[in-house]
Amino acid sequence: MEDFFQQLTNGLTIGSIYALVALGYTMVYGVLKLINFAHGDLFTIGAYLGLTLLTSMGLSDRLGPFLGIIVLVLMVMGLLAILGALLDRAAYRPLRESPRLSAVVSALGASIFLQNTVMLIYGARSQAYPADIIPMTALDIFGLYIPVARILVLVVSFILMAALYLYIQKTRVGTAIRAAAIDQGAARLMGIDVNRVILYVFLIGPALGGVAGVMVGLLYGQIQFTMGWAFGLKAFTAAILGGIGNIPGAMVGGILLGIIEALGAQYISIAWKDAIAFGVLILILIVRPTGLLGERVADKI
Amino acid sequence: MKKFLFLAMALCFLWSTAEAADTIKIGLMAPLTGSYASEGKEMKQVVELLAADLNAKGGLLGKKVELITDDDGSDAKTAALAAQRLTTKGVMAVIGTYGSSVTEASQGILNEAKIIQIANGSTAIRLSEKGLKYFYRSCPRDDEQGKVAVAAIEKMKVKKVAILHDNSTYAKGLADEVKPQLEKKGMKIVFFDALTKGERDYSASLTKMKGAGPDLVFFTGYYEEAGLLLKQKKEMKWTVPFLGGDATYNVDLLKIAGKDAVAGFAFVMPSLPQYLPSKQAKDFLAAFKKKYGTEPTSPYSVLAGDGFRVITAAIAKTKTTDPDKLADYLHTKFKDKDGLTGTISFNAKGDRVGDVYRYYKFDSMGNIVLQK
Amino acid sequence: MNKKLYIYGAISVLLAVAPFFLNAYWVDVLNMIGIYAILALSLNLIVGHAGLFNLGHAAFYAVGAYTAAILNTKFGIPILWLLPASALAAGLFALIIARPIIHLRGDYLCIATIGAGEIVRIALINDIFGITGGPNGIFGIARPVVFDFVIRRPHEFYYFIWLFVAVTIFFFRRLENSRFGRALNYLREDEVAAEGSGINTTHYKLGCFVLGAAWAGMAGDIFAAKMTIIAPESFNFWESVVMFAIVILGGSGSIPGVLLGSFLFVGLPEMFRDFADARMMIFGLAMIIMMIFRTQGILPPTPRTYPVEITEKARVHG
Repeated sequence: MEDFFQQLTNGLTIGSIYALVALGYTMVYGVLKLINFAHGDLFTIGAYLGLTLLTSMGLSDRLGPFLGIIVLVLMVMGLLAILGALLDRAAYRPLRESPRLSAVVSALGASIFLQNTVMLIYGARSQAYPADIIPMTALDIFGLYIPVARILVLVVSFILMAALYLYIQKTRVGTAIRAAAIDQGAARLMGIDVNRVILYVFLIGPALGGVAGVMVGLLYGQIQFTMGWAFGLKAFTAAILGGIGNIPGAMVGGILLGIIEALGAQYISIAWKDAIAFGVLILILIVRPTGLLGERVADKI
Repeated sequence: MKKFLFLAMALCFLWSTAEAADTIKIGLMAPLTGSYASEGKEMKQVVELLAADLNAKGGLLGKKVELITDDDGSDAKTAALAAQRLTTKGVMAVIGTYGSSVTEASQGILNEAKIIQIANGSTAIRLSEKGLKYFYRSCPRDDEQGKVAVAAIEKMKVKKVAILHDNSTYAKGLADEVKPQLEKKGMKIVFFDALTKGERDYSASLTKMKGAGPDLVFFTGYYEEAGLLLKQKKEMKWTVPFLGGDATYNVDLLKIAGKDAVAGFAFVMPSLPQYLPSKQAKDFLAAFKKKYGTEPTSPYSVLAGDGFRVITAAIAKTKTTDPDKLADYLHTKFKDKDGLTGTISFNAKGDRVGDVYRYYKFDSMGNIVLQK
Repeated sequence: MNKKLYIYGAISVLLAVAPFFLNAYWVDVLNMIGIYAILALSLNLIVGHAGLFNLGHAAFYAVGAYTAAILNTKFGIPILWLLPASALAAGLFALIIARPIIHLRGDYLCIATIGAGEIVRIALINDIFGITGGPNGIFGIARPVVFDFVIRRPHEFYYFIWLFVAVTIFFFRRLENSRFGRALNYLREDEVAAEGSGINTTHYKLGCFVLGAAWAGMAGDIFAAKMTIIAPESFNFWESVVMFAIVILGGSGSIPGVLLGSFLFVGLPEMFRDFADARMMIFGLAMIIMMIFRTQGILPPTPRTYPVEITEKARVHG
């Protein structure tokens, strides 16, 4: 039983990171119906930029670890938002009116390009975050060891997700994003500048991916130029699991995927962990063809 | 399509006419892209350094040595094409490559073309069991490493062992090699499973392993995962000792895990030049540091350098580039006492003989200490 | 029409004599292009004609390759005789996998096929049923033999592979114009209308999945024969991505487009080899640029035209 709860917390941590990355997929998908395969690599770039800023500017020395990390996260979010908008401008916008799958191939090309650019700039060796920023202590809660760093990651991602949810639900821009996601044409007729909405989506999604990258760097200490591919695929799976295009769905999907993986590893096999996760995904899709929280799309008659 | 073909043909003609015989061409096949790109790039650095050094001293048989590097992408298919490409470029020997299955895809092609191949990182046993005349390797085989690992585990006096690999050819091979030997010695294998390479979070694997209650964990995979495992094990306050295979060591291991987490971590590995007394090793280290600013991080890149030294020494000694004469010489007479990783000679299968493996341990200051 | 025929004729002749002018390496590159052309043409049926978003085609390729490799190494059955076995195994596997997920829409189908592909790869790596050899894969697969002649060298494989490509082109060309092919196109354009016109969409979707998978299975057999060793890493997600990108980049639904796509996708990274570690970056950039300038693919299919003979009667009334 103790193992069960330990695995639950393990799953929760990795799941909250999946969820943060999944938000980027789901927001872009919601508005553009495009699977942005380069999103995983934006996440990687976030991790690398975080490392550069951290070591070159000495943020945590100058501002203390707490404030330092907040400033770092904000800077990475800003940079990634710019990069996301640039990516949209260069690789996706010219394909707005063309078949959807063409944009998917452009996204794949962008993914290869970004991943290899990171390799050429930073080198192929994995890089390490300075180890002493987040304390390596663990809390002992009823015999469960939960490292403080993991609790921090959990708290930060929940705050971000809640903030995003409120932003989407309560503000004008959020309403516009939701409107454009439901029907672009109708939104346009209602006076919503859809191009602006798309710009916002490409600012917010990559920014959240960037934060996830920094958190992975801080938490696990090691980053690699290829990691976006694996994280991206998992996050995309999470987005689909929750119902792609649906923001709370991405959060639920991410956390659920993390927990399925951890429990699958514990009770079946570590080596089969990913296969179990995909198997569960397929089963869920058979029962609920549009994911857990996805709207049922009525067939047009 | 037509344009492409014409272009392709034109390029081929250009390349084939560029083939002049005033240099000795040696190929290097290494993973320059893909997940092992860092190892591959260092292999290239090491061999380029040695080649430049050799040419500065007057080259071989009065000719310059020309190095032709090709990317195998850590992928069997790309490697087969890379090997094919090297055969068309007039190389007389190929150094490389790293992964065993990747090397295997190139073996047949190079052997058929009578090109001597000296693999530097492929430790799978079966590679040299096929009776290929022109295949050698400067790294030892998995069974050799298995023996050293088993001996080290025996000395630790443990009863329950967990074995963790990562489902790569190499790690699985080593795990499979060690498991029955430990069982024969009366130890119990309480855990045998594989993690997924390239992830960050291994806490689920660690939690499960901890539940099995081993006295020792033997991890046969690579250093990136080893570093993360050590760090996360420390975070969980789990104090079980860890033993690693030879791919778990890299200078970066310390950086990833931090010196607290790495203290007490033991591993088996071919000797690094840093720990060899010979003048060649020291000179090489100094030259490498001067040119690239750091010490080599991986034993396998140094083994690639040894492969280059072996083939060039054999050519200098036999005064020929005839593959048959060189193959005979390497199989029977070759002996280099001053290799960068210790004494080098080969048996009839082309495997390196002699005990290459050493057993090391990290102390609490993050230094590596050779264990007797 | 005639002009096109000349172009295709010229290309065929060029391909037929190419090995006499190329060295072993470039012939081998053409071999790889041929194998990918077969794979992409089989995927083109699913993605291009039926419009089903399949990003797990490597699974069927893997099933075919492993079927051939296991039967060849265990029972010594010649690899060429195993072509039907590979096709059957891959087709059957596709039927089992696709049946429950075929009704999923667009991107949900995409992730389900990715999942299926990953499950297959993980199963192969974990040595499922103890017959796949785990991460080592299967080695020692026999070379193909045609009338006592062992196909061994690159230029011998070249004619074997490209003959198969020719057969594939012929087959899919016929299929395109058949009732089956036209039904798939209808279904892609408007599923509801197709259903309404009496097309059993589930049947047709399943049929094209199974047929495409079976063809990919045969490509797997050829790949196993060519490499003589196969390992799970040759069938990872990236392979599915490559096949998919070839179809879309070349021109979804167009056979010449898909062929050209194979040339570009396999050929370009080889031509960029001199850029060493920057070659994949340049390749990614090239992908974006090609897609931006040819949003429909490089050679999109030409709209179907049917020559209508104007009869005397029609002219009078018209």
